[in-house]
Amino acid sequence: MSLFEIKDLRRAFYGLEVLRGVDFAVEAGGITGLIGPNGAGKTTLFNVVSGLVPPNAGSIVFDGSEMAGKSPDVISRAGLLRTFQVARGFPKLSVFQHLMLYGRDQPGESLLTAIFGSRAARDREAELAEKALETARFLRLDRLIDNPATALSGGQKKLLEIGRALMAEPKLVLLDEPTAGVNPTLQNEIGERLLELPKRGITVLLIEHDMGFIAHLCDPVIVMAEGQVLTQGTFDQVRNDHRVREAYLGKRAA
Amino acid sequence: MNLVLQALLNGLVSGALLAVPAIGFTAMFAVLRFPNFSVSGVATLGAFAGYTAYAAGFQIVGSLAVAFVVAGAVGLVFDKVAHLPLVKQGALPAAIASIASGLVLENVVRLCFGNDMRGYDRPIARDVHFGDLRINPQQTETMGVALVIMLLVFAALAFTRVGKAMRASADNPELAALKGIRPDRVAMMASFIGMGLVGMGGMLLGLDSSIDPLTGARILLSIFAAAVLGGLGSAPGAVLGAFLIGMAEELSVLVVGSPYRAAVGFFAILIVLSLRPRGLLGERAF
Repeated sequence: MSLFEIKDLRRAFYGLEVLRGVDFAVEAGGITGLIGPNGAGKTTLFNVVSGLVPPNAGSIVFDGSEMAGKSPDVISRAGLLRTFQVARGFPKLSVFQHLMLYGRDQPGESLLTAIFGSRAARDREAELAEKALETARFLRLDRLIDNPATALSGGQKKLLEIGRALMAEPKLVLLDEPTAGVNPTLQNEIGERLLELPKRGITVLLIEHDMGFIAHLCDPVIVMAEGQVLTQGTFDQVRNDHRVREAYLGKRAA
Repeated sequence: MNLVLQALLNGLVSGALLAVPAIGFTAMFAVLRFPNFSVSGVATLGAFAGYTAYAAGFQIVGSLAVAFVVAGAVGLVFDKVAHLPLVKQGALPAAIASIASGLVLENVVRLCFGNDMRGYDRPIARDVHFGDLRINPQQTETMGVALVIMLLVFAALAFTRVGKAMRASADNPELAALKGIRPDRVAMMASFIGMGLVGMGGMLLGLDSSIDPLTGARILLSIFAAAVLGGLGSAPGAVLGAFLIGMAEELSVLVVGSPYRAAVGFFAILIVLSLRPRGLLGERAF
């Protein structure tokens, strides 16, 4: 059974159908690319899958359970995490605080634990702090760990987004354009870090417009156009598919 | 010189009173993302709810609690029914609807209480003198109450789950949602608490003078100016803005006379929007 499978997923906004029955599956343990021209519905798909926007119809099965219509925090806790195209974060929190905040099973700050401080909560916090440091080192953000997130460069903010998702111990991460607006050096860096994820048991589904990046990282590649899956296959299969060229460039004049 | 000092002292008092509704206004803006001009009607409603409670024998603090609950509940209903459904279309439609809501509330109060000025029937007290400066014990009392309310609001924002959820949702609603903070619940909380503060502000400012159905409309501009000056969405900014506007209004009376007092708010908004659009303590827009 696939780790992640969506069937006939539909969503309309004000009568405009943005997702018109999306079907695809992602197998555990790889990096799958999701490409398509602007307006194909890729980011809307991520919003629906992560629970921020409820679907009108269809099913989303993740790790054997139905996720359609569940709330975003339930979906996150199940191990399905997403990042945002515009990495804003919380302006007043540091890199370390961002990572801590999205740790799995964060004991939280109820008034009682704040005053009495249970040992279990303290131990869990210490574990999370260790994991946050380790995550920051993995993403090469350790030098910046006490900086406010607003002081990071665009690329570093993207890395922090990935770090935030990793802190939740995900099984599947959805990355929305992890290298958009990032300089080529840092882009390669992000690519290298992403290739590490499947080795850690994390499956990746990413939206990207940089075809070099897709070719280097992703197999298979899924192509969306006009709210549906057009085709999928290896990068070379997809690149040579005439329907994909038409979706991006328009039909050849007769 | 003494006149200036006296004006500044009066400004501190009215600034403290103004800060309460200004915090409410700015907190609602931070979470709900539209300027809610129905605060004019809600402030009037709060002033009259508090007045009714006070006349029925409640103490000042109890009457303020009544003003908070009545204004918060009615403000929440108007937000839920009339404003929030429009926010999806943008801030402007919701803001315009809120002007209408303010007028509706103002006239409901007029229908129930008439157009007359009313004063809270408080015991008369002699002014206290500090050299040439005078202050009324009643003013110090209302100012003290206003300061305590502010401290409670800041403590709530800093330390309680509801306060933290509101700040997180204001900073980044989507990330907050991933952590289980329900945006619709936070919006309702912000609306109730914000409107409650506005209602208490209407009563506090009324305690200092008198109230009538136009009480809220008169202070609307000062509230808005304080919030814009401090930076829309910033609670400390709203307090700073309220003190600056309060003092500027009192000083303007010395310079250009009281008929132009209302122009101070407009002038402050004009200057802030030309020189520093995010306000004194506001976050830079992303």
